[in-house]
Amino acid sequence: MDDLLAQIELLESSANLSTSISDVQQAIDMLTAARAKVAADGSTAPLTLAKLQDPFKKTLEAAQKDLKPIYAGLNKYGKALDKKFKDKPLPSAENDALSSHPSLINRAIAMHLLREGQFGVASTFVDEANRHPPHPEPTLNTPNPYLTESWEKDLAEGTFNSEKLQQQFADMYHILHELRHQRNLKPAIQWARERSEALEARGSNLEFELCRLQFICLYTGATPDTQDTAMDTDDENPAGTLSAWAYAQQEFRPFQKRYAREIHQLMGSLAFWQNVQDSPYARLFYNESAWEEVAHAFNREFCSLLGLSADSPLFIAATAGAIALPYLLKMQSIMKEKRTEWTTQDELPVEIPLPSQYHFHSIFVCPVSKEQSTDTNPPMMMPCGHVIAHESLEKLSKNIKFKCPYCPNESHPRDAVKVVL
Amino acid sequence: MAELTSTKLNAESHLLLDQPLLRMPYELSRRNFKNAQRVIEHASTNLPSTLTAATKAASPSSPLTHLDTLLTKMHTLKRKLETLHAEENKLHRASKARLHHLQDLYAVHSLVDVKYEEWSRTRLSRLLVDYLLREGYTASAAHLAQSKKIEELVDVDAFVACRGIEMSLREGRATGPALEWCKEHGKELKRGGGMLEFELRLQQYIEMVRQGHEAGAEGSDGEGGGGGGEKKLVEARAHAKKYLSLSGDFELMGRAAGMLAYRPWDEVEPYASLYSPSRWDHLANLFVYTHHTLYSLPPRPLLHIALSAGLSALKTPACHSAYTPSSTNAASATTTVCPICSTELNELARNVPYALHTKSIVEDGPVVLPNGRIYGSERLRVFNEKVGTEEGWVRDPMGGLAGEKWRESEVRKVYVM
Repeated sequence: MDDLLAQIELLESSANLSTSISDVQQAIDMLTAARAKVAADGSTAPLTLAKLQDPFKKTLEAAQKDLKPIYAGLNKYGKALDKKFKDKPLPSAENDALSSHPSLINRAIAMHLLREGQFGVASTFVDEANRHPPHPEPTLNTPNPYLTESWEKDLAEGTFNSEKLQQQFADMYHILHELRHQRNLKPAIQWARERSEALEARGSNLEFELCRLQFICLYTGATPDTQDTAMDTDDENPAGTLSAWAYAQQEFRPFQKRYAREIHQLMGSLAFWQNVQDSPYARLFYNESAWEEVAHAFNREFCSLLGLSADSPLFIAATAGAIALPYLLKMQSIMKEKRTEWTTQDELPVEIPLPSQYHFHSIFVCPVSKEQSTDTNPPMMMPCGHVIAHESLEKLSKNIKFKCPYCPNESHPRDAVKVVL
Repeated sequence: MAELTSTKLNAESHLLLDQPLLRMPYELSRRNFKNAQRVIEHASTNLPSTLTAATKAASPSSPLTHLDTLLTKMHTLKRKLETLHAEENKLHRASKARLHHLQDLYAVHSLVDVKYEEWSRTRLSRLLVDYLLREGYTASAAHLAQSKKIEELVDVDAFVACRGIEMSLREGRATGPALEWCKEHGKELKRGGGMLEFELRLQQYIEMVRQGHEAGAEGSDGEGGGGGGEKKLVEARAHAKKYLSLSGDFELMGRAAGMLAYRPWDEVEPYASLYSPSRWDHLANLFVYTHHTLYSLPPRPLLHIALSAGLSALKTPACHSAYTPSSTNAASATTTVCPICSTELNELARNVPYALHTKSIVEDGPVVLPNGRIYGSERLRVFNEKVGTEEGWVRDPMGGLAGEKWRESEVRKVYVM
């Protein structure tokens, strides 16, 4: 990488057209001077021109010669590039399953742009994509993409034409902005309250977290509207504490059953209104990361309620793809060398080590057959608590009592139960 | 046996997708340099002789006019060179920015580093711009590049030029711009041995013959003979002799000659397919293919390549399963939605193979509920604490607050190997 940079810097600083341009300028100067001379005295014309011949020609030749360093520099840079990418083939177009679904890709991109908050770009794109709908191309698994096009179109246009999604993400960014930069909880609390039931059913305590933060803000007097007076109210005037108390009376009622312990804590802290910093409750009140945590939780809940993952799937998938590519290409070259075909079309032939945050589902690989469980071959738990795949169970047991492959326990296959990971 | 998970980042092998990033400005620099070379060469062979002519000119006033034309020419030369120089600078700047961008990756050693995430986001934006440009969504591409401030990392102009020529073939049905492009890239094309120029010339011939036949048909309807048509056909023959006869493909020559006898509306093969308008699409595709090969651009959008690999690497049988897996579901706040299960990619991932795993991946301390659902014991505890289940009871996170609940004693340990 460093030699490439050095080459480019060389090209940029010296090996460029500027020298040739100055040569040309020199020739121009010569001609201009000669012209002035001839114009002043016509009789000198033959002599002046004859004298000009040689230098003029030479300057132009110099201009030509000065190109050489550029040529050499570019060549060197090109060679360095070749070296850099010698064993890195351009990814080929094999195994491209996506060309037959351009409208799905377009939809994914539109949603990606929206969730990144790139509303301007998203609307430009939706406009352009609607004006020029994409042309699907046949691929291995979808030889005739036009057959499926109609439902794909419906699917794709479901979001393409709706401004609802954009509005929702605009709301999300508005609330997040208020949270992070204005430290204003009101829009977030209102949002959570409107979806109180849905959130509760998910086991999310976002609403309470938000309210608790509001309580703390009032207590320490750190809300935007009381910010100016925060300094002196802190230890002299219990106004902050009182408003926090009032807030708790007014808002905490619905939470009493679920968050009794937390509420008792908050109420208990009221007794320390003069020196909360030294009280046992200090960590509740002086937690710098609280805001970021709440913003993060809000972002996740918001996306989940829309059925979307919190981070952009396009981003995760593209990143995982870049991590996976070296393995896949290596596998391809090995297969080409050995002239083998890859027999299972629905499973990759190599294992790709991804960092653990790229694992979203639990994976069950049968310890007997080494196959991943599927809907038709689900994991089965024997009474001893060991799990094997359904097909393995059938093969091992032949429908009579059999010994677990992992412990001395014997059981009948009908006692095994299907489990879901 | 490969490791199941790895967070080590090997920058060297990670650059597979990034070769075009550096190749493109390099190829453009070379083209730019060649243009400069041609301009200067042209000047230094022609201009000195102009000066000689001026010297030899007899009349007293002509030296001045000669000098003036010479000066104008020199100024044009300088202007041309300056334009090329500006372009050269722009390309070098782009190359440098790209090198710095790639070098940033070498400073990151872990895939879980925040810096890697940042870098990867920029890369995604690059890939998106590349995709948008290839699909012809030029305005979106430019807009995205601008808003992400990655103009130096993407080749909007080059793709716009390519798109322009492609559309001139596909929709404008004109061979001019494409032939012009062939002329500019003559040397490389000759080395590559592509058929683009020949196919374009053949198309010109076909169009001439078509016009000839059409004019002939009109002519025979009226009083005057088909003189115009006849003339056009003769022209076509001359064109074929000049451009096509050198190919050595006698079978094609025979077919081309046959076209002089069979008219477009005769619908006789193999001539009908030569007359067919679908040839324009073929030409457009051939042009794009030739263009991309010449500039070391992969034939498919880089986004496709990255995405198909990524979808497969992430996909599990659970992603399109009829049963909601316990490990991830949208109904529980203790899990995140899997990107493949997310609306954006779910349908897209339907046709790709799923990832190979040789070992089970389960949460720590798996326990099974009486309904067969397996959870990590820690996650089950956290969930039940959050929803405030009564002491001694356990609720299935699947159903949220209204989920089934059992006594703690009914929860069993499960062994997944």
